[in-house]
Amino acid sequence: MMNELVSDLSAVRAEAFLAAGICVLLLFDLFIRDRHRDLTYALAMLLLAGTGWLAATAGGDGRVLAFGGSVVVDPLARVLKVAAALAMAVVFLYSRPWLRERQLFRGEYYVLGLFALLGILVIISGHSFLVIYLGLEMLSLALYALVVYDRDSPIGAESGMKYFVLGAIASGTLLYGMSIVYGFSGTLNLGELREYAAGLDGVPVFLLVGLGFMLSGIAFKFGAVPFHMWVPDVYQGAPTSVSLLIATAPKLASIALVIRLVAEALPELLVTWQVILMTLAVLSLLIGNIVAIAQTNIKRMLAYSAIAHVGFILLGVATGTTAGVEAAVFYSIVYVVAAAGAFGIIMLLSSRGAEADQLDDFRGLSQRSPWFALMMLLLMASMIGIPPLAGFYAKWIVLLALVEAGAVWLALFAVLMSVVGAFYYLRVIRLMYFDELPGGAPVQAPGDFRLVLSINALLALALGLFPGPLMDLCTGLLG
Amino acid sequence: MNWPAGLEQALPEWALTTLTSLVQIGVVCLVLILSVAFLTYFERKVIGFMQNRMGPNRVGPRGLLQPFADVIKLLMKEVIVPSSANRFLFVIAPVLSIAPALAAWAVMPLFPGFVIADIDAALLYVLALTSMGVYGVILAGWASNSKYALLGAMRSAAQIIAYEIAMGFALVGVLMAGGSLNLGAIVEAQAGGPLSWFWLPLFPLFIVYFVSGVAETNRAPFDVAEGESEIVAGFHVEYSGVAFAVFFLAEYANMILIAALTAVLFLGGWTSPFAGSMFSFLDGSVLEFLRASGLHWLALKTAFFLFCFLWFRATFPRYRYDQIMRLGWKVFIPVTIVWIFVEGVMVVLGVGPWSS
Amino acid sequence: MLNNYLPVLLFLMVAVGIGLILLGIGFLVGRGQKDPEKLSAYECGFEAFEDSRMKFDVRYYLVAILFIVFDLEIAFLFPWAISLDEIGLYGLGAMAIFLLVLVVGFIYEWKKGALEWD
Repeated sequence: MMNELVSDLSAVRAEAFLAAGICVLLLFDLFIRDRHRDLTYALAMLLLAGTGWLAATAGGDGRVLAFGGSVVVDPLARVLKVAAALAMAVVFLYSRPWLRERQLFRGEYYVLGLFALLGILVIISGHSFLVIYLGLEMLSLALYALVVYDRDSPIGAESGMKYFVLGAIASGTLLYGMSIVYGFSGTLNLGELREYAAGLDGVPVFLLVGLGFMLSGIAFKFGAVPFHMWVPDVYQGAPTSVSLLIATAPKLASIALVIRLVAEALPELLVTWQVILMTLAVLSLLIGNIVAIAQTNIKRMLAYSAIAHVGFILLGVATGTTAGVEAAVFYSIVYVVAAAGAFGIIMLLSSRGAEADQLDDFRGLSQRSPWFALMMLLLMASMIGIPPLAGFYAKWIVLLALVEAGAVWLALFAVLMSVVGAFYYLRVIRLMYFDELPGGAPVQAPGDFRLVLSINALLALALGLFPGPLMDLCTGLLG
Repeated sequence: MNWPAGLEQALPEWALTTLTSLVQIGVVCLVLILSVAFLTYFERKVIGFMQNRMGPNRVGPRGLLQPFADVIKLLMKEVIVPSSANRFLFVIAPVLSIAPALAAWAVMPLFPGFVIADIDAALLYVLALTSMGVYGVILAGWASNSKYALLGAMRSAAQIIAYEIAMGFALVGVLMAGGSLNLGAIVEAQAGGPLSWFWLPLFPLFIVYFVSGVAETNRAPFDVAEGESEIVAGFHVEYSGVAFAVFFLAEYANMILIAALTAVLFLGGWTSPFAGSMFSFLDGSVLEFLRASGLHWLALKTAFFLFCFLWFRATFPRYRYDQIMRLGWKVFIPVTIVWIFVEGVMVVLGVGPWSS
Repeated sequence: MLNNYLPVLLFLMVAVGIGLILLGIGFLVGRGQKDPEKLSAYECGFEAFEDSRMKFDVRYYLVAILFIVFDLEIAFLFPWAISLDEIGLYGLGAMAIFLLVLVVGFIYEWKKGALEWD
């Protein structure tokens, strides 16, 4: 029993380390003075480094099941966990000057952010309904609190309330679907569920109902149309540093959620969930891209752009092929890179007291800061999918998987929607390069912020030029 | 219980059980209500003597009939339901207050081998019922639609639930030592004289439990919720006549319940204080009857704790509200958590006095 | 087994019955003249200023939330305490972690001043 415990704990060592670290951080932050708050930040970064390293090495090279099969550590988990820890580190780094200028630089931001990361890690490794649900709630509760992190902001409170209510409904829906599936299949374990589904003769109605509820819940959390209502409001209403957090690492949890619950657990029911996922994807692409055109607030625009990207990711998973799922994972990582960069630029431009969340704030950026205008250009181009940027390659492999799976029309539709989407990204570029903003001051930011932001944006280029290494990581994920 | 043979044949078994239980319940309730009546008398006498007064002495010999005079007076008084009150909740609140205080006695081990309902989840049941009491308070305060009532109810409810946590932790400590949720089994685990009772190994929990009990029943010195000089009478300011009497009854019934529970959980319930081997010299002497267990020991121990309730009231000045909350949250809860952990280690290592 | 729970149910019914009967007697026996002044809410002889379902201090709400957390903890401790003999060191360790997490939260609320009343 002791040996088993040790090997179980070693499989979840990243999570255990992070959980213990959060407790220490919480207490540590309580007992230091305000002017030493940077220590909290440093400790949080240390925790992220440790978590990333432990997550990268957990479970060796193969696929390990722990805690009676309710936790899985496989290549997918390792890739996504490291990506999530990295994304969170970038988020923390971008947020520091922004929070400090607004008197929001408190330990709770880091504690809640790390709790969200813990939830993400638990979801990624979840191999049982209960574990996945536990992770999801941990993530969601931390995010609800983060959205209202700026207590005195009315719009923040409003969006937090919307997020909380809708998120609670989504959790309930997901849980309801899980309990229906559990009630009929008699197992919470995804591996056993897979065996159960393989032994089925035809698709029973209960499984359809349960799957439908589960997919609705997932779509809610992912922000796929028609369950996307919260996304724009939350992106806009939350403090920008929190929008940045929500736009990045949780997307990695969502992709893991879809893969674990659907692609991995129920491959036998491919025909059934394929239709649902494709519908969600088509609607997301359509609504996301078209509504984004009408936005004047860049956070809101990025929210609709996120919905559109979710559509692409879901298309990849919906193929049901290994290549499709790997393409979806690749796509999400690339998306997270671009989204982190875009929000980073917004925070860079937000000077003391003033927010740069309107599209008009980007006017004449090429004169104020030619370098960061170029970076924004790269990020936007990556989101459009212009070669040779990462976004192009990501879209390309998803489309390839779609065509291979025989969904040529869907691929054509996705291309068409990308062209529609290009319109609003290009508008940002036009504003930066062809419009003037009288009296714009040069951009100021700390050195580490500038450096990491530049690396982030250049990464979008590098991943497009040399997709090989990341692609290697993303192949053979499902082991 | 033995029923006449004719009855036993005529009725099915479940009906006999029901009848037996009903008789037992009736007796217990009657005794309880009488105890409440005389507890009020006792209280006024004790506090009277402590303050160098006579206490009630007009109605009946030495004022012994005073409680009955009070009951009759309260019964005859008009019951007023304020026009702005929520009538249904206003009426139901006193019932919610009294019912748990009485019903908790269902699982109380009264004397060796006897308890009305011998259930294994007794302690859980007690915890559940004592938690119910706060509903009566909060509903009464809210339904009255009066500011004093609402403020009093909020204060009392916050106070009750704060101390309930400490009580709950103390209960966990007892059941770790007793190894059972059944109150009878807990009493039996304490057999063997005062040194085997749980008050000794669980001394901090014992103190915490009893003091929390005092706070839980909103008795002095924790009676800010009633604070006559501040908010008139707290949550039951709008109640008159018999509706008020029911709240009063509930408060005193709760006192008796807490006293009896403390006796059962920490002072060995119906076991005799002379039962241990150190009193074996009493065997064979005239005083041997002292070593027998029985209801009288439970009654005596309960009476002792009830006296403590009154003693506190006559001795201590009223706590300030922030002091009450500080005591509950910042002293009792940490103490109980620490003690439970210590006890857990002792149980696992098998070094406790209860692990044999 | 279930037989043992019958008296509990009966006792609950009797207890509620006693309360209702007492109130019933009161309403029947204690009669009096009603008038609007008598039936208005008591506020030191003043007319009631406003509806008394007013805003109250948020700390009561906070106490209620904390209560739920700790009461749930107690509910978890009950079965643990009973079976401690069988689950041994493993159980103790598991509960120690559980308690530790709660204690961390407790220290946090303490330091943040959630327990202060002034």
